[in-house]
Amino acid sequence: MPASTTRDYPDEPGTSHLDNHHPEILVSGLKRSFGKVEAVRGIDLELHSGELFAFLGPNGAGKTTTINMLTGLLRPDSGRICYQGEPFVATAYEVRRRIGVVPQHNNLDRELTAAENLRVHGRLFGLGGPALQQRIESCLELAGLSEKRDTPAGKLSGGMKRKLVIVRALLHEPAILFLDEPTAGLDPHSRRKIWAFLRRINQEQHCTLFLTTHYIEEAEQLAERVCFIDQGRIIASGSPDELMKRTGSYVLDIYNDEDVDNEFFNDRATAMARLEQIDRTVRIRKTTLEDVFLQLTGKRIDP
Amino acid sequence: MLYGARGIYLRETLILRRKLFKTLLASAVSPALFLLAFGFGVGRGAMVGGQDYLSFLIPGLLTMASMNQSYAIATEINISRFYFKVFEEYLLAPFGRWQIVLGEMFYGITRGLIPVAIIALYSLFCGVSLHFSPAFFLALLLHLAIFSLLGILAAMIVRSHADQATVNAFLITPMMFLSGTFFPVEKMPLAIKAVASIFPLTYSTRLIRSTLLQQDNGNGLLYLLLVVMVIILFGLTKRIIERVEV
Ligand SMILES: Nc1ncnc2c1ncn2[C@@H]1O[C@H](COP(=O)(O)OP(=O)(O)O)[C@@H](O)[C@H]1O
Ligand SMILES: [Mg+2]
Repeated sequence: MPASTTRDYPDEPGTSHLDNHHPEILVSGLKRSFGKVEAVRGIDLELHSGELFAFLGPNGAGKTTTINMLTGLLRPDSGRICYQGEPFVATAYEVRRRIGVVPQHNNLDRELTAAENLRVHGRLFGLGGPALQQRIESCLELAGLSEKRDTPAGKLSGGMKRKLVIVRALLHEPAILFLDEPTAGLDPHSRRKIWAFLRRINQEQHCTLFLTTHYIEEAEQLAERVCFIDQGRIIASGSPDELMKRTGSYVLDIYNDEDVDNEFFNDRATAMARLEQIDRTVRIRKTTLEDVFLQLTGKRIDP
Repeated sequence: MLYGARGIYLRETLILRRKLFKTLLASAVSPALFLLAFGFGVGRGAMVGGQDYLSFLIPGLLTMASMNQSYAIATEINISRFYFKVFEEYLLAPFGRWQIVLGEMFYGITRGLIPVAIIALYSLFCGVSLHFSPAFFLALLLHLAIFSLLGILAAMIVRSHADQATVNAFLITPMMFLSGTFFPVEKMPLAIKAVASIFPLTYSTRLIRSTLLQQDNGNGLLYLLLVVMVIILFGLTKRIIERVEV
């Protein structure tokens, strides 16, 4: 299934500023290998301002490698990355200011307090004085960490550390926030809180969100648009509803001796009719993104 | 202006403050041991190059200990890069990567000043008089810049923390013992003299010792040499850091 690409997009530099409606991010033909491992094998995508977008795929699919290329931490072997029509090059400092990054690993300075971690980030982005102080306070408040401003980051709970990393990435008021596995390693309760937090950031701060995840539920709960990535390629993309409809909105789990077979249907009535005909144990349910991925690749995301 | 370098310097010195006591202790102990073993043990009463051995040794220890502290930023950058990954924050920030080199270099220089203060204190106890002239501080600054840059360079080239230990064992430790800290290079066997001549520490030790003991003998050339080394190392480190990926 093709990824959502716009191939007729003007490529010539001369035409770019004639058109004032550029996508936030436009990526084409992105590739990167590590020795013999082809981590990313040609990714095209287009992201619009305000979107909440998820890259969903199993471990080793190439999600982190893609984010690292989009944020300038890795050089692509080939392909193009444009932010609002501007090519993303090493000296594109204005583009970097538009980007906030939440890495998979909570890379905080554990000896420094929550506020100091934010202060250093602000200074690295050229902020200072009362403006920085005010940003620090409002970021701490956004994260619900005002009480913990003087606590060393190493002493915060897992969920608090994660929130601190997220607001640190927001401190310089980026237009796009990249989050690599935002809730990996958190308990279900903290995970839900982070989801609510991310929705708020997307809606209240009008921040475009690009997140990667290998949790089906995370993509279903959060994303307006999902790209499935597997073995360095995008294998499908669309809203969770569209993706499920494409596969069939209803599914029968047919229990064999060993295994479960699936049959997909576009509407409930047809599925029920089929259910009547089967004399084994059968269950009818709504399709999930997991089913879609299984249909496309023959394997589960989170085995 | 230079907010990148200043931001990095801020972060590093905030952390240094948190472990100042440990750093002070570390910079105090090893020169004290060397002083006891060599100054009061092996070299007691000896004369080297026309002065008593302690007057020869203490400027050497000062140079060596400050080198160790400056170069030690290699290990810190390494841990930040490969383990805690805070280094990514620098790579993502909107400024040229040469500012990372600049910020870390000034941090290394700052760290290198700690043992200088400690050894100045030791010299009082030993009754050795040192001259802390502007000429000395200029030499010290260049010396610390060189070893900070070498530290950053090493941290950028290695691929892991273990590699870093190897670099230290094969480069830094031999340099400590063969660069005229404990014994004049001129009196060493020819082969060692040849090795010593490629170590920057040989030159900075010579220069710093001569400024501290006020024995100017053609120091102009040594200053020039150190300045050239700083420029070359800065350029090289900048080029390498620009190629660095996570
Ligand atoms: N620095 C690297 N060196 C070598 N191989 C790498 C490196 N980074 C990633 N890979 C490999 O590239 C593939 C994709 O990795 P990654 O992008 O981290 O996947 P994901 O984030 O989806 O789990 C994996 O096979 C991984 O082992
Ligand atoms: Mg990953």
